[in-house]
Amino acid sequence: MKESLMDVICCPLDKAALELDVDEADDEEVLAGTLTCTECGETYPIEDGIPNLLPPDMREEAAA
Amino acid sequence: MTGGGDEGDGENGHDGGDLAALRGADDATVYQPAEDSGLLAEAAIEEAHGRVLEVGTGSGWVAERVATERDLDVVGSDRNPHAARQARERGVEAVVADLLSPFREDAFDAVCFNPPYLPTDPDNEWDDWMEHALSGGESGRELIEPFLADVGRVLAPDGVVLLLVSSLTGYDEVLALVEEAGFDHEAVVEESFPFETLTVLALRRA
Repeated sequence: MKESLMDVICCPLDKAALELDVDEADDEEVLAGTLTCTECGETYPIEDGIPNLLPPDMREEAAA
Repeated sequence: MTGGGDEGDGENGHDGGDLAALRGADDATVYQPAEDSGLLAEAAIEEAHGRVLEVGTGSGWVAERVATERDLDVVGSDRNPHAARQARERGVEAVVADLLSPFREDAFDAVCFNPPYLPTDPDNEWDDWMEHALSGGESGRELIEPFLADVGRVLAPDGVVLLLVSSLTGYDEVLALVEEAGFDHEAVVEESFPFETLTVLALRRA
């Protein structure tokens, strides 16, 4: 994901702003990292350049 | 996602559920572009402006066409991680998400959605990714309802929603939901196929 995506995404649970922690990036994009809700503290992973912003209960289902 | 005559199977009288089952018969996990995708892309290329979101982007084909032909910033979201990966491989900014839930207020000037719309008998659901891509539940409107209830939140004040509607889903029922959500509607493109008529509606705040 490009860092500009931060302008349009929020926590799916409470719509609060997210904080970006970058683990791995190239010149254009964040490839791995974590998005953390500044309000409820829920975390959302960024893997292979794709943020997973499913609410936690749906994320479990998607992994099955 | 029309049942189209390309394969020439010549079978008539399928209801939506059977049609969904037919389309789900292969083991693919991501919905690939079909007639409905082409119509949505045509409408989006014509009507979209500014920052664009495609909900349920699937393979990312529509999002990619809008980004390329109109040179716009397009985000493609899908609840299927396999779909998000395919969309990203096409160069689309991809997000795994449930409908509109992780997007900010007033964030997009255009929102496109080709919903899973085939009415499906609950006893006949097959519970895999392709079902999520095709089935709109018993009414065919199971995802259209929450989408319309929330899309006004993420849409900028002069924004436009491009929604693909199939006659299988109940055109008048969808229009009623659109009006209930406070939007004016206009049919931008329309095409008839053997099993269904597909319309792309442009919705703007009434």
